[in-house]
Amino acid sequence: MRFKSFTIFLNLILAGIGSMYFVSCSQPTMDGMMIITQSAELMKDAGTSESSPGYAVNSQIIALDPQNLIETKLLTKDFKSACAPVISYDGKTMLFAATEKEGDNWQIWEMVLSNLKCRQVLSMQGDCIDPAYLPSGRILFSRLAEINSEKKYYPIYTCMSDGSDIKQISYHPHNNFASSVLRDGRILTITSSVYPEKGNPMFLALRPDGTKAELFYKGNSGSSILSRGCETPDGKIVFIESENGNKADGKLVSVSYNRPLHTRINISGDLKGSFNSVLPLKSGKYLVSWRASGNDRFGLYEFNPDIKELGNLVYQNAGYDVTDATMVVQSDLPKKLPSEVDMGVKTGLLLCQDINFTGMSKNTDSHISMIKLVGIDSTMGFVKVEEDGSFFLKIKADTPFQIHNIDDNGQVLNDSCDWIYLRPNERRGCVGCHEDQEMVPENRYCLSVSKDPVEIPSILKNVQEKKIELE
Amino acid sequence: MKRTNKAFLTAVVLCVFGVIIYVPGRKMARKHVNYITATEDHPLLCTSCHIYKQKTGVIAKLINADYLSPINLTVSNDGKQLLVVAQDDNSLLIVDAENQKVIKKIKVGTKPHSVVLDRNGKKAYVSNQWSDNVSVIDLESLLVSDTLITDGGPAGMDISSNGRFLYVVNSYSSTLSVIDLQSGEEKKRLAAGNNPTGIHVSPAGKDVYITSRRANIAPYKVPLISEVTLVDDNTQRIVQRKNIDAAYLMENVAVTPSGDLAIFSITRPKNLVPSIQVERGFMMTHGIGIIDQKNDGRVVQLLLDEPNAYYPDPFDVVISHDGKRAFVSHSGVDCISVVDIDSIRALITESTPEELSNYSNHLGISSRYVIKRISTGANPKGLALSPDGKILYAAEMLADRITVINTETLENIGAIDLGGPDRITVARQGRRLLNNAGHTFQNQFSCYTCHPDTHEDGLVYNMASIGMGRNVTNTQSLRDISETAPFKWNGKNHTVYKQDGIRFSTVLTRNEPFSYKNLDAITAYILTGIPYPPNLQNNPVGELTESQVRGKKFFERSADNFGREIPENNRCITCHPAPFYTNRKLADVSTIAATDDSILFDTPHLNNIYASPPYLHDGRAMTLEEIWTLYGTDDKHGITSDMTKTQLNELIDYLLSLSAPEYKHKNSNVEHASFKPKH
Repeated sequence: MRFKSFTIFLNLILAGIGSMYFVSCSQPTMDGMMIITQSAELMKDAGTSESSPGYAVNSQIIALDPQNLIETKLLTKDFKSACAPVISYDGKTMLFAATEKEGDNWQIWEMVLSNLKCRQVLSMQGDCIDPAYLPSGRILFSRLAEINSEKKYYPIYTCMSDGSDIKQISYHPHNNFASSVLRDGRILTITSSVYPEKGNPMFLALRPDGTKAELFYKGNSGSSILSRGCETPDGKIVFIESENGNKADGKLVSVSYNRPLHTRINISGDLKGSFNSVLPLKSGKYLVSWRASGNDRFGLYEFNPDIKELGNLVYQNAGYDVTDATMVVQSDLPKKLPSEVDMGVKTGLLLCQDINFTGMSKNTDSHISMIKLVGIDSTMGFVKVEEDGSFFLKIKADTPFQIHNIDDNGQVLNDSCDWIYLRPNERRGCVGCHEDQEMVPENRYCLSVSKDPVEIPSILKNVQEKKIELE
Repeated sequence: MKRTNKAFLTAVVLCVFGVIIYVPGRKMARKHVNYITATEDHPLLCTSCHIYKQKTGVIAKLINADYLSPINLTVSNDGKQLLVVAQDDNSLLIVDAENQKVIKKIKVGTKPHSVVLDRNGKKAYVSNQWSDNVSVIDLESLLVSDTLITDGGPAGMDISSNGRFLYVVNSYSSTLSVIDLQSGEEKKRLAAGNNPTGIHVSPAGKDVYITSRRANIAPYKVPLISEVTLVDDNTQRIVQRKNIDAAYLMENVAVTPSGDLAIFSITRPKNLVPSIQVERGFMMTHGIGIIDQKNDGRVVQLLLDEPNAYYPDPFDVVISHDGKRAFVSHSGVDCISVVDIDSIRALITESTPEELSNYSNHLGISSRYVIKRISTGANPKGLALSPDGKILYAAEMLADRITVINTETLENIGAIDLGGPDRITVARQGRRLLNNAGHTFQNQFSCYTCHPDTHEDGLVYNMASIGMGRNVTNTQSLRDISETAPFKWNGKNHTVYKQDGIRFSTVLTRNEPFSYKNLDAITAYILTGIPYPPNLQNNPVGELTESQVRGKKFFERSADNFGREIPENNRCITCHPAPFYTNRKLADVSTIAATDDSILFDTPHLNNIYASPPYLHDGRAMTLEEIWTLYGTDDKHGITSDMTKTQLNELIDYLLSLSAPEYKHKNSNVEHASFKPKH
C-alpha cells in the first residue's frame, strides 16, 4: 500500500515536470525576432526638439519574424500607447515607454521576452520616456521636470532595474532625449537648451553618473537631430538629422566615433524622402524607417551604407508608420565606467587652464581678467582670473551655471558659454573659452592651483562638506 | 558498540568537526582575501594572495615559460633573411623570410636591444643592453665573431655613412659610443640626451640624430624638455642639442631619403596638469616629432591621436624608400599608423609657426596625414622594411611573432611564428596587460607610458587626490617590488591588488576596472616578473670600490664624526636595511611640503637608486646629493651635517652602487663591461 502511494506520488511529480517541460518548449522563442513600433497616428514630424522622437498616441510595439514577415505579434495589447523599445544586452528583456490608458503619463516598463510578461519599472510624476539599459544593470531614462513654474525640461535619470534608487544625473536646463550607450560606457543623448531660449539639438556625451558632460556632435546652424544615435560595428555613429530645420526631411547621417565633430557624412545621398530611425545590423547594412514623401507612411527598408542606396522593403503596414526597429539579439556589454560621484560631497571642482584661449589660439582682441558665474535666476559670484588666464573654482554641485567673461575694461563680453554643471565630487577641466573642442591642455602648471579654489557661491562656507581622504 | 555504529559515529564526528572548521575557516579565508585584494567579492583562491615568487627552481620553471620577446629586427640586404633580436632569450634569431621559419638561434649578450648590419651586409651587430657590449655576428658562419665594449646600456645603433664606424647609443649612461669597426675599439664617447635609445644616420650622410627617452631633469612646475642630439657624421662632434618641448619617450627616429625631415616618436604627458580627467587628452597624448631641415631645423610636433581614440606608446618609425610614407608602431594599442609625409610637408608649408605650435595639442589634425591604422598582434615594437620596400615587418614583442604587412595595400598579410611557447602564462598575460592601453578610457595610456621598461618615467605628477595642485608625487619603479609593500608614497596600498584594483580605475584609468582574472595576472607579473638590470656602471662585479666601502661605513654608522651616538631611528641602515634597503615603514624625514596632506611617507627601496632621479616623494631633489645639501640640512633624514664633502660623496658613491640581490656576487651570470671572449 505504502509502495503504491509512493509510485503514484512519483508519477505525479514526473508528470508535473514533463508538463512544465512541454509548456516551456511550446512557448515561442523571441530570439532573432525584430521589434518595431507602429503608429496609426500620422507622423507629421519625424521628431521634434520639444518631445522625444517617435512618440505618438496609440502607437504599438510588435514583433516580427524576419523569416516570416507576414505574421506579426502585438506585444503591447494591454497599453494605450507604447514605443521606444530597447533590448537588454543579454537579449532577454525589453524596456519601453508606455501609457496604460488615455491621459496617463508615459512610464517605463520592462517585458520579459521569454513569457512576454510586463512589469512597470517606474511610476513617477511627469512623463518618463526614452529608456535604455546601462551596462551596470541600472536603467536610464528622461523625465519631464520643472526648471521653474514656467519652464519644463527633460533631465536624465537613472534607477535600479526594479525602479528604486532614482537619481537625476543631468542638471543643465536642457531637454535630453533618446539616450543610448556608447561602447566606451558613456551615455550619448540628444540635448538642446530650453532656457533662457531654445537651442538646436546636438549630441552630448556624459558618464553614467552624469559627470564629464561634453559636446559630442553638433550639426550646422538650423539643423536638428531626429533620432537616437546608434554605434555601428565599424566605429561610426549613425542617426537621422534634418539639415534645414524641416523635420519632415530627415537625412541619414554618420559620424566617426573617433572624430565626431568633423566627420559628418550624409549617407542618404541623393535619395529623396525622409528617414525616421536607423538600426545598424551585424551584416554592415542598416535597417531604416523611411518614407518617400509626407503623404506616405514610414516603412522599414534595408539600406546599404557602402553604396548609399535604399534596398528592399522589409516591412510595411498600410495605415501605420513603422519605426524604431530593434532586434532580439545578445549584444556586447559596453564598458562599466567607475564613478567619482560622492553624494556626501556637496561641491565639484572646475579648473580652466586659460580663459583667454579661444578657438585654436590665444585671444589677442581682448583680455579677460574676471569671470562672472551666473545661475538660472541669479549671479553666483565673480572670480578674478590669474595672470596666466587660469581659474580654479569649487562650485555647489548639481547646480547649473554659465560663465560670462569680463575684460580689463570691466566690459562683459557677449559670448557666455553653454550651461555647465558639476556632480558632487566631480573634478573637471577645460582648456579655454570657446576653444576648439579638439584641443588638449598644454602641459603647464596653472597659477590658480597653487591656491585654494574660489568657492561659488560664497555661501558655500556654510555647507557641511565631507572630508575627502587622500588617495 | 557495533562496528557499524562506531563507523557512523566517527563519520558524524568528522562531519561536525569539518563543519566547525569549514565555517569559520571559510570566514577567515574570506576576510584574508578581502584584506589582500581590497575588495569583498574576489574569488577565494589561495594563489591570489600567495603567488609563487621564486624566479628559479622546478616550480618556477613549471609555472613560467621562456618567451622570446622580439623587440627589434632588420632585413638582410638580399631580403631573404630577417634578423630578429629576441630580448628575453638573449639571442638573435635568423629567420628565412620566404619560408617564414627560424633557421638559426645565435646566443648573444644579456637583454639584447637592437641589430644593425654593416654596409655590405656581411656582419650584424647586436647591442646587449644588460652586458654593456655589442655582439658581432658573421652572417656567413652565423657565429659570434667578436664582442665590442660600449658604455652603459647600449641600445640603438647605426653605421656611419662611410661604413667605418658603428654608432651605439648607451641608454643607461646617456652617451654615444663611436666604435672604429677596423679596430673594434671605442674611438669616442659623446654625451647624449637623457636615456637615449634611438639613432639614425641621415641618408645624405651629414647628420646623426639621437633621441632620448627621459626628459631633462628639472624641478616640478618647470616645463618639460627632452633632447634630440645632432652629431656631425664626418667630424663625429655634437653640432646641436635640440630642445623638444613638452615631450619625452622619444624611442626611435628615422630620416627621409632626401634628408629634409627627421621623424621621431613622442609622448606628450600632462604631468603638470592635475589628473582630473582623461577626457580631452588631460593625461597623455602621443605622436611624432619632426625636425624640418628645410626650415633651419625647426621642430614640429604632431599628434597621431584622435579626439576619442588614442594611440599610445609610439615606438619605432620607418620611412618608405620613396620618402612618401612613415610607419609608426604603437605598442600600447597593437597597431601601426601609416602617415602620409607629403601631407605633413604641405601642412608645415602652409601653417604659421603659431598654428604649428597649436597643432601639437590638436587631436583632430591627425586626419590630415594619418591614412591608415593597421592592426598587429600583441605589443608591436621594432619595424623593418624589405629591400624593395614592399613588405613591412613588425616585431610583436609579446606574441613572439613578426607581423608581415603589404606596404602597397597596407594590409596585414600574416605573421611569422618565431617558435616561442604556445601557452600564455598568468604572468605573461599580466605583462601584456601592463603594456596595453585597453584598460584606460579611450586607450589614452598604458602602464608602460609612465613606467617605460616597467621602470619609471622620471616625472612628477599632480594626481589631484584632494583638491588640485596638492600632493604631487614622483613616479616609482615597478622593478622587483614584490617585497617592498606598502605601495604609493603615502603607503596607502598594502598590496599590488589594492594598487591596481578599483581605485586605480576610479582615479587613474577612469575605465572599467580589471576583471579579477586580469587583476590576478597583472599582480602575478608585477610580483614575479620584473627584474632589475645589473648596475654595471657603479658596481660592475659585485664588489665595492674603496670609496664605496667608505661610503658603506657612513651608511651603517651609529656615531657621527664627533663620536656622538646617532639615535637608532635616524641611522640610514635602520630605515633602509638590505636586501631591499627599506624597512617598509612610514617615516617623517622632514620633507613634507606645504602642498602635501600626508605627514608620513613610505620608505623607498634603494636598489638601482642611481637610475631613478629625481628623488624624494615629490621629486624635488634632482640628484642624491641634493637630498642632504638642499633638503636635509636639519639632520632629520639621517645625520649628514657633520660630514665633509668628500665623505658625503663617498656615501653617495655607495648608494649609487646598490643593486638587486642577485647581482651581489662575483659569479653572477650577467656579463659585465670587461667581458670579452677570446678568439
